[in-house]
Amino acid sequence: MAVNSQQPDDRHAIEKIVSSYPPEQRFTLAIMQDLQKQINYLPKESLQMTAQHVNAPVSVIFSMATFYKAFSLVPKGRVILKACDGTACHIKGSNVIIDEIYKALGIKPGGTTPDGQFSLETVNCLGACALAPVLVANDQIYPKVTPALLRDIIKEYRGQSDESDGSES
Amino acid sequence: MKITIDGNEIEANFGETILDAANRSGLEIPTLCYSEAFGGQGVCRMCMVEVKEGDRKRLVASCTYPITSEIEVQTSTPELLEIRSNIITLLYRRAPNSDYMKKLHQEYECTGVEPVDPEEKCIMCRLCIKACEKVGAYAISTIMRGTEKRVATPFDEESPVCIGCNACADICPTGAISVKKEGGRQKIWHKSFEMFRCEVCGDYFSTLPVKEHVKEQLELTVSGDNLCPNCRRNKLARDVANVSK
Ligand code: SF4
Ligand code: FES
Repeated sequence: MAVNSQQPDDRHAIEKIVSSYPPEQRFTLAIMQDLQKQINYLPKESLQMTAQHVNAPVSVIFSMATFYKAFSLVPKGRVILKACDGTACHIKGSNVIIDEIYKALGIKPGGTTPDGQFSLETVNCLGACALAPVLVANDQIYPKVTPALLRDIIKEYRGQSDESDGSES
Repeated sequence: MKITIDGNEIEANFGETILDAANRSGLEIPTLCYSEAFGGQGVCRMCMVEVKEGDRKRLVASCTYPITSEIEVQTSTPELLEIRSNIITLLYRRAPNSDYMKKLHQEYECTGVEPVDPEEKCIMCRLCIKACEKVGAYAISTIMRGTEKRVATPFDEESPVCIGCNACADICPTGAISVKKEGGRQKIWHKSFEMFRCEVCGDYFSTLPVKEHVKEQLELTVSGDNLCPNCRRNKLARDVANVSK
């Protein structure tokens, strides 16, 4: 999954995303969001290309890239778990879920498993408080998560990776 | 237009900041992130003052607040002193390891706090970043956010645009930026530079890229390229003396 920006193909892919935006500084965030979405992280070269494209210093781009939680400078996992830690979920025990994820996968919020399968993020309220505590795995929403349910969810996504290992690169 | 600062009547220009007006009249307002060269940044909030306009009172940062009407300014009400002491306490907790902060911490009689990192010096005033911008290099910026925020080069690596001018280290009030000079080389922000010598006294005084940069910027061929500021001043003085003979 990780992009190798030394590879001409990957470089080209980055270039394509960057240059699809007008070369103006106000598009910096949009470019980075797009890169994050499509490549799953912001490779070093992508930041340099962005800087060049919008004609801004790399230091300014790097400052923005490290400021926002939505961006990652290292590859994110194939499955991104978002544990809601808003007020309602917090009261309903989101910390238990986060602990449980740590027990199962050994990652804390912001972390990615060494095999690149899972990343964990916390979000401050998904606006689905009636479903607390909520977990989102990629785009799938799981309401009223319990430790048992969580283990099933992780198992399910692990299984997927074995099946699709051949087809995904 | 007339304003008063702590009861002193002062003639201020429309649009100038309270801090500038005060400084011009010899009144002191404490600052941390202000430099005459750059103007106010509004970062540290140390320069807060109380502004009274009609019967509205409010607190503003004097380094960025432009004077547009006849206001009454108070610079050291108990409330303001408390704000300043809090700022110093918090900054000292973050970065206690400089004489600058130790002195302020004593001066403001701050409460004892456990420093987060006893080695830390940087108080995040951003003067270094401003200086780098003014040089035109843009080699450093703040990275990360919240308590992890710090000044760095992109990727914490040597920056291709850094010219080793040391403007950042020179302006830093706390000596937080390390510069190592050794054997005709200088190291700053992970980057090592070859230095060059003053033609007169032979002292190393700046880096090669700085020499190029200065030439480029000013086409500075006047009174000697390779002279350190001291010798350049001497030569200039001699030249001026010669001319006026
Ligand atoms: S390194 Fe020095 S000048 Fe730069 S922000 Fe920190 S204290 Fe201010
Ligand atoms: S001197 Fe005004 S905010 Fe720092």
